[in-house]
Amino acid sequence: MSKTFGGEVPVEALKDVDLQISEGEFVGIMGPSGSGKSTLLHMLALLDEPTSGKITVDGTDTAALSSMQKTSFRLNKLGYVFQEYALLPELNALENVCLPLMMLGAPAREYRRVALEMMETVGLGKRARHLVSQMSGGEQQRVAIARALVNKSKILFADEPCANLDTKNSGIVMNLLRQLCDERKQTIVMVTHEPEHRQYMDRVLWIKDGEMDREEKCSR
Amino acid sequence: MKFTPGTRFKLADLANDLRVAFFLVFKAITRGNKYTLVLTILVTTLAFINIIFTSSIMNGAISKAYQQAQENYVSNIVILPVVDDKYVNQVQQLKTKINTLPGVVSSSSRYAQSGMIRYDPGKDNLDVREKAWNIKSMNPTEEVKVTSLQNFMVSGRYLEEGDRDQLIMGKEISGGYGASFQISSLKGARVGDEVTVAYGNGVQRDYKIKGIYNTYFPLADLSVFVTEKEMESVLGIHNRASEVLIKTDGSVPERVYIDRLRMMGIEKEQINVWMDFIGYISGLTQTFDIIKGIVTTIGLLVAGITIFIVIFIATINRRRQIGILKAIGMKERIIVMSYIFQAAFYASLGIIAGEIIIQAFLIPYFIQYPLPMPIGMVSLVLVRQDMIFGIVSMILVSMVSGFIPSWMVTRQNIIKAIWG
Repeated sequence: MSKTFGGEVPVEALKDVDLQISEGEFVGIMGPSGSGKSTLLHMLALLDEPTSGKITVDGTDTAALSSMQKTSFRLNKLGYVFQEYALLPELNALENVCLPLMMLGAPAREYRRVALEMMETVGLGKRARHLVSQMSGGEQQRVAIARALVNKSKILFADEPCANLDTKNSGIVMNLLRQLCDERKQTIVMVTHEPEHRQYMDRVLWIKDGEMDREEKCSR
Repeated sequence: MKFTPGTRFKLADLANDLRVAFFLVFKAITRGNKYTLVLTILVTTLAFINIIFTSSIMNGAISKAYQQAQENYVSNIVILPVVDDKYVNQVQQLKTKINTLPGVVSSSSRYAQSGMIRYDPGKDNLDVREKAWNIKSMNPTEEVKVTSLQNFMVSGRYLEEGDRDQLIMGKEISGGYGASFQISSLKGARVGDEVTVAYGNGVQRDYKIKGIYNTYFPLADLSVFVTEKEMESVLGIHNRASEVLIKTDGSVPERVYIDRLRMMGIEKEQINVWMDFIGYISGLTQTFDIIKGIVTTIGLLVAGITIFIVIFIATINRRRQIGILKAIGMKERIIVMSYIFQAAFYASLGIIAGEIIIQAFLIPYFIQYPLPMPIGMVSLVLVRQDMIFGIVSMILVSMVSGFIPSWMVTRQNIIKAIWG
């Protein structure tokens, strides 16, 4: 697929990128700033549309989906973790995690139970009822991961989830992602700047100037 | 609407979207900025009070004008002579018949004769005040049953049946007492002063001013009354009247009584309702209605724009958050609905607070201290229709004000919303 941003001077952000990600795989997208990593992630997570080409997720050609269908697809099959946590400040941690399940129409008792389980999984069971503003950056990012996975997403997309975290919290988050991949066969696609994150990944796709530069198998 | 499994699915879907929207609104309100909440509700409260207060004061003025016309001017129904006749004949018999009609409280007859009133305060011809007015007569015993002039004497006393050389007049004729038409009045005639009335038929009589009344209703306060017996002696006639006033109990509209009067044999005489006599006051009430409409519209616009600004700022501030909600799979309509509900909530609380202030403070205050207006002392009159209109339009305007900015922001591309 390719992506060109319009304007007075059109910018070709992605050029004929062709890639395949297998189920249960932890894939990293790395490259210098402005290389098109985030743009690629946005396309894969259906947050933006490619100018040409198509993305097939779990057998579904996403180019054929309407805007409403894409919204529903994101809710049902995809999870997204933002760099800056992106939690709703008016909600406590548990309520943030409950939100996707509520949108799916789960009964209140059910979504609370499932969300609490997810909070336990990310190691925040005891902090479930805290407002997100009362949590550390690392905790907030784990809440964001719980929210992204609570609806049993097929793929978890993460855009530099450790960019704002210290080394310790960064380690906790990366370990959690690896653990999810190992134990739940969770497919994860993550953009990162940090070369040391490669130790948690199965494969790294290197992007340069909007093109697939190389692919690196990671030995863990 | 035909229900199909698909329809049921869509309704369940909508119900769930509403649930999520309500959840977001509840949390945004309970955990959001309390100062913004209080300020927004304060503004919507003031906007609602503005709408209701203005229309209530207008209603109060209109209602007072109507009440004054019925209580102090012409009562409810007026029988006038047959066209081209000067008097209603056999008036005693007519009143006896009218008083038997169900719903009629009483009736009273009046003569009306043009005349020139001359007032010479110094009795030295140096400062003579002279003006033509319509002199009326009344039977005081009957009159008190159809009008309330006797309750508005600001000086002196009301007429009694045996009075022959005394008259009473409204403040607009005597002048003073805050008269609106001081310049064309007798400019300060007082009780006990003497006036000379030169009637249109050439008869001239001297009278002492027995009383001055002030109903605060200019049309009523522009009258001079002598007794019926006195006027009959002036005119040299008996058992006739220029007009017959009828007071009804108000159980049915005046038009119904007119039909009944016609059925009982009053066929040729003109029968009018009080509304036909209020002249410019009627035009004034129409003007009040227009002003009411304009002020209500402006009030609604102010409320709408205020809520629009609050929601607009909220959506702009949360543009990134809205983008994130869309990114995690939230439907645009849930986001828009949540802002619409939020706006409706602000409006509802504003309405409730406004209603409490109106009922608990403003109405009791204006009952205690009515506003002096040229038509009388005016209190607030809450009309249910105006209230319902105010509430419904306030909520609708607020919902539109919530919809527009949230719809504008949710239409944005997710990436643009998140990263600008």
